[in-house]
Amino acid sequence: MPDSMTAAVSAPRGPESGAGGGLRRLARRRSTIAFLMTLPLICVIVGLVAYPAVYAVYLSTLNRRMDEFAGLLQFEILVDNETFWLVVWQSCLFAISAVLAKALIGFWLAHMLHHIPTKGQRKWRGMLLIPWVIPPALSTLGWWWMYDPTYSSLNWILAIFAVPAVPWLGEPWWARISVILVNVWYGAPFFMIMYLAALKSVPEQLYEAAAIDGATSWQRLRHITLPMMQNIISITVLFSLIVTFANYDIVRVLTNGGPRDLTHVFATYAFQVGILSGNIPRGAAVSLFMLPALAVFAYFILRGVNRRNREMA
Amino acid sequence: MNLAANIHGSLRAERRWALIIAYVSLCAAVVIFLLPPVYMLITSLKTNAEMSNLQGNPWLVRSPTLEHYGTILGNPLFLTFFWNSIKVTVLTVIVTMVISVLAAFALARMRFWGSQALATGVFLTYLVPDTLLFIPLYQIVGGLGLLNSTWGLVLVYPTLTVPFCTWIMIGYFASIPKELDEAALIDGATWSQMLLKIFIPVALPGIIAATIFAFTVSWAAFVYPTAFITTPDQMPLTIGVVSTLVRGDTFAWGQIMAGALLAALPPVVVYAFLMDYYIAGLTAGATKG
Amino acid sequence: MSENVNATSCNDVSLPRRAALLGGAATALTAPAVFGQPTTNIRCGFWDHWVPAGNDALRRLCAQWGERNRATVGVDFITSVGNQNLLTIAAQAQSRSGHDILSFPAWEPAVHARMLVNVDDVMGRLTAKYGAVTPAAEYLGKQDGRWVAIPAVSGTQMKPACVRIDLMQQHAGIDIRAMWPAENRAGPGADTWNWETFAVAAEKCNRAGFAFGLPMGSFTDAVDWVGALFASYGANVMDERGGITVRGNAKLRAAVEMCVRIARQLPNDVWAWDDASNNRALISGRSALVFNPPSAWVSARRDQPAVGAQCWTVPVPSGPEGRFVGYLPYFWGIWNFSRVQGPAKELLEFLSDRASAEVQTNTSAGYDIPPFLSMNDFPVWANEGPPVGTVFNYPIKAHHNARTSVAFAPAPPAMAVQAYNQALNTKLIARIAQANETVDQALGWLERELNTIRRGG
Repeated sequence: MPDSMTAAVSAPRGPESGAGGGLRRLARRRSTIAFLMTLPLICVIVGLVAYPAVYAVYLSTLNRRMDEFAGLLQFEILVDNETFWLVVWQSCLFAISAVLAKALIGFWLAHMLHHIPTKGQRKWRGMLLIPWVIPPALSTLGWWWMYDPTYSSLNWILAIFAVPAVPWLGEPWWARISVILVNVWYGAPFFMIMYLAALKSVPEQLYEAAAIDGATSWQRLRHITLPMMQNIISITVLFSLIVTFANYDIVRVLTNGGPRDLTHVFATYAFQVGILSGNIPRGAAVSLFMLPALAVFAYFILRGVNRRNREMA
Repeated sequence: MNLAANIHGSLRAERRWALIIAYVSLCAAVVIFLLPPVYMLITSLKTNAEMSNLQGNPWLVRSPTLEHYGTILGNPLFLTFFWNSIKVTVLTVIVTMVISVLAAFALARMRFWGSQALATGVFLTYLVPDTLLFIPLYQIVGGLGLLNSTWGLVLVYPTLTVPFCTWIMIGYFASIPKELDEAALIDGATWSQMLLKIFIPVALPGIIAATIFAFTVSWAAFVYPTAFITTPDQMPLTIGVVSTLVRGDTFAWGQIMAGALLAALPPVVVYAFLMDYYIAGLTAGATKG
Repeated sequence: MSENVNATSCNDVSLPRRAALLGGAATALTAPAVFGQPTTNIRCGFWDHWVPAGNDALRRLCAQWGERNRATVGVDFITSVGNQNLLTIAAQAQSRSGHDILSFPAWEPAVHARMLVNVDDVMGRLTAKYGAVTPAAEYLGKQDGRWVAIPAVSGTQMKPACVRIDLMQQHAGIDIRAMWPAENRAGPGADTWNWETFAVAAEKCNRAGFAFGLPMGSFTDAVDWVGALFASYGANVMDERGGITVRGNAKLRAAVEMCVRIARQLPNDVWAWDDASNNRALISGRSALVFNPPSAWVSARRDQPAVGAQCWTVPVPSGPEGRFVGYLPYFWGIWNFSRVQGPAKELLEFLSDRASAEVQTNTSAGYDIPPFLSMNDFPVWANEGPPVGTVFNYPIKAHHNARTSVAFAPAPPAMAVQAYNQALNTKLIARIAQANETVDQALGWLERELNTIRRGG
């Protein structure tokens, strides 16, 4: 993935130029054809991403009934609103802790998978990927039923170990943990598979050389595995941060933002305010608040990836 | 000699321990990872009375029944959901693959004015989540008269799939040796011949991976259908199961679980057969070093 | 009448072109002509009923009317779970297309008043025949002096208490069936059925392990019962003109304190309960009391007959300012982009008449409450069982001395709906009972939230 990344971010490589005028004419024709070939892509990006994004900015400057220009009123109201700041805090908490847990669990499992004999790996990998293949909106229903206040089967298991019943979705911190848990459950296999691929691309000779030098397993991890995986770790974390930060389905199915709006994230809050309560401008303003955070994540990780690529080149 | 034997001996001991730890962790992970789907299966096999009974182990089925599956499959609405999902997904996958293969080929192989900016643009697009776009898109789709229509979904789903698929395909095309197209060009092949005769066959694994990706994403999409589809006859499965089967103020859990499992079946089946391609596609860059 | 109405669909200049063309085509035909044609096609989106089999009544009635009037009536049922019905309403208002007739829960007629056809004529005929509707329905359905939607039978519910006879007797020492018999009279001790008694009973049952199952989340069951408690203390948070009445409001403080006292005796996860959680609590046998329409009991009767046979519905406890019962009405409204407004009105008038209302109430095991007070005497409420008479006291009877309450009334609907959808009242209680804020802190928060609503308009 880092390779295709760089391909996307740096210049796409065409055939080597340097032949004579015939090739230049060809190049001119070529660029027209190439433009035509990318036209559908441009239409999708401009028409369905860039334009809506700009339109969202416009919407957010209207008043509730959308018949008057209201300037920054929606943003002012949000900034003054305690609930909104809870949403900001919860979104960050949710994204950062879930991504961290997913990365650690994924890393651990990838390592374990890498250790066992190759012929058994496929079977284990298949089973471990299942959470990630089921559409999350549907698997969350299963979790919801396991969390149910009256019929919780998780509490039933806990009761065997004499642990008192847990109010999974009722108490704010438990609700936060429950939501994060489902997200980690759903996302960890993705990290696992990415890291496994990265592990497999580390040349075996490096480890053998290290073993002969008497390196401990920690040293091997620290000085060989991690540096070799740095790029894929950054990229995976970046994607996961963005997707988790913008998550909608898990919170929508499990808690709908409750108790007391303490589990709302940007997406569910924007939905609640914008579409359910019929205040589209305010909803647009809420979702626009996601942009700066996303841009910051993207900037840092891309910078890191590019720098390392330059170093390696 | 001695030293080498020692190293070997300790290595073997270390390996054995590592193996034990590995299997223990994997077993634990499998149990936890499969807990919810298994419980969904268990629930879907219980009768309503058994489900609402608090006595006894909720993880066992005492009188298994297929009535929920029967009800669900006999429900024309559910079959409509299934059909809508298939329709939307197939159309989205076709549209996505055409757009992204063409664009990826052009971006990876043909330089033109703005191509670099566009390549970066594709990447940045992926950073704009659907949850940011659904409110303006709601207005736009509404303005086009496509709210409550599967066509509206076919229109907006490419925003979820195209950037990533283009990205996978750029990676694949970039990894094809340049000598190949130079030779083809010298032989007087046109661009379209080059794409169809050389690149698509060589990049087939990547295309399969991108197709599976597009399929999985459009099958699982949730935000857009929640926002844009409200009449049951136009709903795809995800939202149909969540909003229509969750009925009443006492839920039909058996039916919900049966429906959810049936809805999860197609991606699971696809991935069971094509897992290796899928994984290869997702990790394209990494495996290609 | 109907010609006028058809014309209004074209007045709206902002209609998209397609809809405008269709609207134009509709006006070209005169309403009686449309009415007589077999081509008349009315699309209805009704509320998806919570009582199993509750949808059948409307399906049958619509088919019957369609046959008689040579029209096809397409019926969709839209669930309110996950607020799907609110989404549907918003989407149809946005795209100006969809159903002709739609079910609107409590506040939505007011929110979409500008897009709903005036139904003063139908309401005029109905009230002439059946007398007045319950005041809460009028507050919600009549905007700026005109009826924008017809109070519906199907889906309109009250939320009195559904009590476990055995548990209440055993643990709280209250013979609830004697207190509220299935007769038109109050039994002994009915005058002591107030929030004070209720709080004591809640505590006793909680101690015995059968805590009351009262949701405190953000869904309607939660907002409605807390709203009813507030109303019975005369505790308003906003007046008719949008003025905030939180500060120095002794009645509000008394209501809050009582509600917090009860909330402390509830299971510790009620803060996340949805409209189904309380029913599950009752059906599982874990709860001695819920505030709910008969759907909980109907499901118990089906899945756990032993529990169902011990359920008894009684009025809500009274407070210093009287007895108020949580009321969640549905309305049938006609979109102004509909091309069949005349026939749609006819259909709604048919669905609202006494015979049709009784069919709906019967099919839903007594769940549906007709808006007209004169219809609160259907025999179904006396006959349903077991135990026979369990829902006798579900509709308001004269001896209850009760009124219907809508949370956040009498605030202006545009603002009240936001407070209602955000469940400000249950969150207020949660801040005190769950997050351990002082009453003053929590009231301060409430005031700021209400101010935000005012600022946004």
